[in-house]
Amino acid sequence: MDPVPRTGEGGGFDPGQAADLLDQATRQARRQFTPLTPALFAFRAVVALVVFGGFWLSVRGQHPYTGHISGWAIAVAVVLVAINIGWTAWVIGRAGTGVSGPAQRKRQAWTAVMAVVWIIGYAATAPLYHAGVSHPVWGLYPASAPLLIIGLAGAAVAAAFRYWPLAGTALGIAVAAAAAGFGGPAGSWLITGTGLCAVCLGIAALTAWRQRRSTVRP
Amino acid sequence: MTTELDPLIHVPTRLKIVATLAALPDGDALSFTRLQDMLALTPGNLIIQLRKLEQAGYISSTKTGNGSAQKTTVALTSRGRAALRSYTQALRDLLGGLDTGATSPGNTVDETSEDAELKRRADIATRQEPP
Repeated sequence: MDPVPRTGEGGGFDPGQAADLLDQATRQARRQFTPLTPALFAFRAVVALVVFGGFWLSVRGQHPYTGHISGWAIAVAVVLVAINIGWTAWVIGRAGTGVSGPAQRKRQAWTAVMAVVWIIGYAATAPLYHAGVSHPVWGLYPASAPLLIIGLAGAAVAAAFRYWPLAGTALGIAVAAAAAGFGGPAGSWLITGTGLCAVCLGIAALTAWRQRRSTVRP
Repeated sequence: MTTELDPLIHVPTRLKIVATLAALPDGDALSFTRLQDMLALTPGNLIIQLRKLEQAGYISSTKTGNGSAQKTTVALTSRGRAALRSYTQALRDLLGGLDTGATSPGNTVDETSEDAELKRRADIATRQEPP
């Protein structure tokens, strides 16, 4: 029996062409439905390196340490973080357009929970600032502790949602933040920046591989 | 071993529809307009292809709203997912068989597929043997 339909609508459509078309359509759909694209993660890697690297450049020569971050570094950080938030909102909106169902609702719940986790992580620094903690503590805390909170909470939430790659990413952020604690008030910015950059590049590579892998050929 | 290609899926337009819907998580649905945009098909052509897939039980469609606000969403059913899995497996088997057939002209597709399967099994058995 001929396994390939030779008559009707599929006539002349050979298995090689079908495999190529299946791979092409699957890759296109994966790219369109994935809210977290490799390009976005690669951009986040650059943001982490530039923002935290800028903060490190601002504070590394301070003797005694004051924790003061220069205006240009803050301005660059604000612009890059704003672009990141805008880009993230755009890709999430694009990926979810026209999609409905339980997985889509789960994804929306995940996005809302993680937005709250990020806000709480950084809002937790405000009481310390108002309490007038010492400069070395204040220098170490914003570079490390918020990301430690966000990483651990994010990993727990992602595990609850069974988003395993995101759980791994969040744990990577927590590990980078914990390691930064050993770098001192100035060095913690650099360790956090390079750690986040490595995590973002890793997840960008994983996402790109998952999107590009063939469904037919090994 | 599956070597027959499902004639319902083995049509370029329907293969693209099924592959696109399969990229969504199980249970999620896609609006007709988004699917049309993604595949760059005319509404008429898309409706015809979707109807054929729905008649086979590969997709389900849901209409919500009335009049101009009416929205249609389509989703791949578990039967459709299983059909695509079988189709993909059949493609793998056929392509494996065709690769083997390239070195032994004269074989039919079925024979070369069987040869490829036997070779794969022999390779797996060799890998599993203790050193």
